[in-house]
Amino acid sequence: MGDYREVQAGSKPFKRAYIAVMLWFVGRAIQAAARVDKAVREEFEKLPEGFTFSLGVQPHGPYMIVGKNQKGRVKYLGWKPESKVVDLRMAIKNIEAALLLFTFQESTAISICRDRIDFDGDLPPALTVIRAIGIVEVYLLPKLISKLAIKRYPVWSFGRKYLGRIRIYFHSILGY
Amino acid sequence: MYKPESYEFFCPIKFSSGSRALENIPFELEALSARKPLIITDKNVTRRGLVRKMITAFKDSGVTIGIFDGIPDVPDMQLVTELSNIYRNGEHDAIIALGCGSIVDVAKVVNIAVSYNVKILRDLAGDNLMAHPLGPFVLVPTLTGTGYETSKFTFIEDLTFSSYFLMPDLVVIDSRTVRSESLQTTVATAMVALAHAAEAYTGPGKNPITDAYAYAAIQYVKDNLITVLTKPRNKEGRLALVNAAGMAGCAFSNMKPGLIHILGEAISAMFHIASGICMGILLPYGLEYTIQKNGYHTYDLLLPLSGFDEYAGTAENLKAEKAVNIMYEMQQDLYKVTGKKIPRTLEEANVPKYMVNDIAEKVFKDGAREFGIDDYRMVLEHAWEGKPMAHS
Repeated sequence: MGDYREVQAGSKPFKRAYIAVMLWFVGRAIQAAARVDKAVREEFEKLPEGFTFSLGVQPHGPYMIVGKNQKGRVKYLGWKPESKVVDLRMAIKNIEAALLLFTFQESTAISICRDRIDFDGDLPPALTVIRAIGIVEVYLLPKLISKLAIKRYPVWSFGRKYLGRIRIYFHSILGY
Repeated sequence: MYKPESYEFFCPIKFSSGSRALENIPFELEALSARKPLIITDKNVTRRGLVRKMITAFKDSGVTIGIFDGIPDVPDMQLVTELSNIYRNGEHDAIIALGCGSIVDVAKVVNIAVSYNVKILRDLAGDNLMAHPLGPFVLVPTLTGTGYETSKFTFIEDLTFSSYFLMPDLVVIDSRTVRSESLQTTVATAMVALAHAAEAYTGPGKNPITDAYAYAAIQYVKDNLITVLTKPRNKEGRLALVNAAGMAGCAFSNMKPGLIHILGEAISAMFHIASGICMGILLPYGLEYTIQKNGYHTYDLLLPLSGFDEYAGTAENLKAEKAVNIMYEMQQDLYKVTGKKIPRTLEEANVPKYMVNDIAEKVFKDGAREFGIDDYRMVLEHAWEGKPMAHS
């Protein structure tokens, strides 16, 4: 028995905190973008009313939950998946994979291709959500960084890009 | 493309490979309904800091890990009993083998013991005597493989267990754990993979799925072995070699052992030389025998070894010979790159010439009757002298 020991795996509080803040902000930004941007609104219109999805880190979070209510409005529903009926779960397999994604070292598409994200739900809504998150990233991030996070940087008008960005940041910070 | 009349292929292994693959283990364990794994390894692995890396990978998972790092080079059944008790008393529900060779052998046998009963362990030794699947088993290999890690085989004392249930559920190949220990262990790991893959690719049990595994394994070894030996810090190269070992093990589990494997294992056991080194010596001679004996698809081997251009530019009747020549060149390269530490012939490996006949007889008497005793003797004699068969 001298060669045997038990170890309680520790935690990574700073990495968790960073991801939690990012998910919180992206969740609110999705809500804002669905109001401000036509393309994001159209993406969410394809989803059924009451549809809810979560994006989080396995096994203990953090998470963000976003859903479409009965009126068709997209709402950030918080960071606690418990007691919520979630139609699509997108689980990043571990905190290191989440860091690669949220420090934009790896684009969402590459992260999915490298099996870093586990999907539990239907594929068409999952792709809709991924496309919407891609548009949100263009709004939130400077071109230099968002080019790393998405497949192809879009050509947008000045008004759509910069006024949209201001409005989305404004709504995200105020939370409506 | 070769279309066999009929074939079967089985591989239940999920591979997870990359620079941060270790961090996937908690997620994958949860998918296997396991919450408290027992890591089995040895002091050398602990000394090299790999256990610490493993613990770090579990951070944030909330999992409690048991670690046993006392596996000796030659383990016995008493150790299996001890580990079975640790597993049960510690209420573990999965085994992670961190390392290669005897570590994996013990981990597999402990998995049988805790899934069945340690008292009937000896009754389960043999071919396909296990009736139901075993507990979750994860393999995290280092660059010190024997070729059996991902296979359906395991060995302890005088017992050999063979069952598809012994193949790992998950193989995690992480660039942080696949560090080279020495030139010899790197070459041995790569050459056993190359030999198994080449025999799967050219043997009579060849089928489209073994081909896929074997092709990638051959190409990975050919493209990366010399690079890793000259630049041991090359992460991608090391990762490729361990991937090759994993894939070759899967192909090997779905074929009958070939002549190179049989002779290589026999010489390894008799003269205590790493089986990979022995198979590396025998490889070109064994392939030449294959061409002479039945010509099974040896010409196809040129494709993964040389690439499309050279394959397409070589006449059909010269392809097999060219593939074998590449193997001879590889032997010479290994000899040069390692400063003459890797033998090219059985003579250089200090196998006495008078023992060649004894090896052939022993192999034949031990039941490897797929080939004649004269066939064994012929390959051994050429491999001892370093004399290609085509020129004899």
